[in-house]
Amino acid sequence: MKKLFALLAFALIATPLAAQAWEPTGDVTVIVAYKAGSGTDTGARVLASEAEKNIGKTLVINNLPGADGKIGWTQLINSKPDGQTIGFINLPTFTSLATKPDATFSIEDIVPIANHLTETGVVVVPANSPWQTIQDLVNAAKEKPDYKASTNGVEASNHIAAQLLAKSGGFDYKAIPYGGTADQLLALRQGEVDFSCAKVADVLPLVGGEKPELRVLGVFAEERVPEFPNVPTLKESGLYDKWYGSARGLVAPKGTPPEVIDFYVQAFKKTMEDPANIEAHKKAGLNMNFMDNQQFAKLIQEQDAFAKEVANDLFK
Amino acid sequence: MDTLSLMGSGFLQALTPLNLLMMALSTAVGVTIGCLPGLSAAMGVALLLPVTFGMDPATGLIILGGIYCGAIFGGSISAILIHTPGTPASAATAIEGYQMTLRGEAAKALTVACFASFCGGLLSCVSLYFFAPPLAQLAMKFKSPEYFWLSLFGLTIIAGVSSKSMLKGLMSGVLGLLISTVGMDPMEGVPRFMFGQSSLYNGVDVTCALIGLFSMSQILILAEKKIQPRPQAAKFKTKFELSGKEVKRLSPTIIRSWIIGNIIGILPGAGASIACFIGYNEARRFSKRKDEFGKGSIEGVAGSEAANNAVTGGSLIPMLTLGIPGESVTAVLMGGLIIHGLQPGPELFSTYAGMTYTFFAGFVLVQFFMLFIGMLGCKGFAQISRLSDAILIPSIFLLCVVGSYAIHNNVVEVVIMMIFGVIGFLVRKFDMNATAIVLGMILGPIGERGLRRSLMLSDGDPSILFSTPLCWLLIALCVLGVLSPLLMDRMERKMREKAHTA
Repeated sequence: MKKLFALLAFALIATPLAAQAWEPTGDVTVIVAYKAGSGTDTGARVLASEAEKNIGKTLVINNLPGADGKIGWTQLINSKPDGQTIGFINLPTFTSLATKPDATFSIEDIVPIANHLTETGVVVVPANSPWQTIQDLVNAAKEKPDYKASTNGVEASNHIAAQLLAKSGGFDYKAIPYGGTADQLLALRQGEVDFSCAKVADVLPLVGGEKPELRVLGVFAEERVPEFPNVPTLKESGLYDKWYGSARGLVAPKGTPPEVIDFYVQAFKKTMEDPANIEAHKKAGLNMNFMDNQQFAKLIQEQDAFAKEVANDLFK
Repeated sequence: MDTLSLMGSGFLQALTPLNLLMMALSTAVGVTIGCLPGLSAAMGVALLLPVTFGMDPATGLIILGGIYCGAIFGGSISAILIHTPGTPASAATAIEGYQMTLRGEAAKALTVACFASFCGGLLSCVSLYFFAPPLAQLAMKFKSPEYFWLSLFGLTIIAGVSSKSMLKGLMSGVLGLLISTVGMDPMEGVPRFMFGQSSLYNGVDVTCALIGLFSMSQILILAEKKIQPRPQAAKFKTKFELSGKEVKRLSPTIIRSWIIGNIIGILPGAGASIACFIGYNEARRFSKRKDEFGKGSIEGVAGSEAANNAVTGGSLIPMLTLGIPGESVTAVLMGGLIIHGLQPGPELFSTYAGMTYTFFAGFVLVQFFMLFIGMLGCKGFAQISRLSDAILIPSIFLLCVVGSYAIHNNVVEVVIMMIFGVIGFLVRKFDMNATAIVLGMILGPIGERGLRRSLMLSDGDPSILFSTPLCWLLIALCVLGVLSPLLMDRMERKMREKAHTA
């Protein structure tokens, strides 16, 4: 009976599109520019396994890691635009690489399909820090310009966040690069540095419980986030007034026909609205945030503008 | 979760049918590799590493552990039957084992070797369970200056692994350090020595280099010689027995060798090949039947085999907790961990404790598989130990190419593997040390980041490097690390002399 319904439902949705319906002819390759088992890869695999029933073909994840995404994305834009190859991009990394002088791709080389995940940036300090509010931090840093912040790498996403905070707060600090977010937060927990900027999901396990190790002082958003309803946004505190964080979404190489894009937008929309999928994402601690191709295109444009105008000036 | 429940759930996780099947297979493969003269345990693990990429990390690690333990035991089969140790770890086993074969007691020698290996391996798991978690706790206290000293301590291991010529060992280590600087500068984000190759952005992949240095180079070494048939293995009845009386006689030897092997395993720089000689020699020193030594003593076989297998569990401790591999096999295993997205260190005992304890449980269970496979399959393995190089060379070559490609699905890595194959070949020809190169490559970035980050934190004031008691402890260990191999080397040489003159 269930099957019948599913068939019926499928038939109903499929009929109006029949005139220009496109379907993948074989397995679909999904390029992930980071290694198997990485955060990006895990998220991609959760979505891909749930999306298969709406796409009707197997989604094969092809991990092409290296050069912070450059290798995989270069391959992605050079793939045949026939709908058999799509891929995940990470923002802001993709747009910031695309604006570098030696870039091997630009945002014109891709066609957006849908956004999958977003993570909002946060400012954190150790639980025993004297700073109770973001204002405490800014005031202290204005007086003494050599407080230290750990970052996840030179000009990496969390370094950009710290830089945004410092510029908008009008203070100087010292950024110490650590290999990745885990190491960056470990240094903060050990007290080797004074504050840090990271993403909501990274700090969530460290701020709860009976003995929280970290304290969140502010979030990089225009409205408060549901995870920390009591934490003010930076905008409220008169600091950086836009959203900053990371996003991951699906794109196809330039030249992919519109009917193919339509097919994927519908398929992924359906997948991301599926309760089973929502449950799977919750379990994996992934913050799903569906945007269709037009909304996602807008986000990419914004990030591109940010990379060109804001980020490049940040480190001067 | 407390340790006890972690231990329990580890066993539950490890006992899935898939894991059990993989344990049986990997141990059998390990024994096969071990008994083939010329193929070492490090090489076996490096070759089979790519096979585990697609698997669950715990299953993948269990496979690598199975190969490690199997290979260390497997070396004794060819040592006993054709007087050619399959791996250097069984060099001391050949002394008494082959004498027993000549006396027509090959079956008994193999039984003793298998039983002693089993006991040594199983007992070494005890220290893994006891010492690894507290050491991981300590590692939580490590900050940037401590990591600098830790890597320096690791580099003193080079002095140990290169006991033949310290100068050449140090040269190898420096080569490794130089290779480790290729790629993106960790502090400034500037490319170094990349020559426009964007695949070198993250540096030279250690696993890829390992496959080249250990496996590919072995092909070149094997191919250099004319292919000759191996000596016929001694014929023996498949009757394996060990009386209760003999077990009782062997137990003090086994326990002694366990302690020796374990300590040697934990200490960086000394591996199974040294443990077997010390284990053998202590067995003789304490034996009530010294006259049997040199003529085929079961205690001699047990002393050597229990010691080399006791190294296995011990050697995992510094690798898992501090990210400092003490010898080549654990260096390869560490490459495997990193490929599965697991960074050695305290996180393995907190965030990834479930996986780690599953691996530990698998390591315990592998010992039982080794016992069964060893007891039942000796005759078959005896035939394998005579496998011709004409088959071996192309098979290993195939595995090298497929393996290095599989790391990142990247052809450039195959080229890098080949280059390291040639480097490995030359390194052996010049009596330099491949393990030292690998250690340099692994520890270089840890030390560089530790030092530069410390100085960045202190505004260039070097006193930060001497600011905590932990720093001083590590400095003391560095000094010990430089001196201990020299002492070890003297001890081993003395014992080898004794073993031969007796």
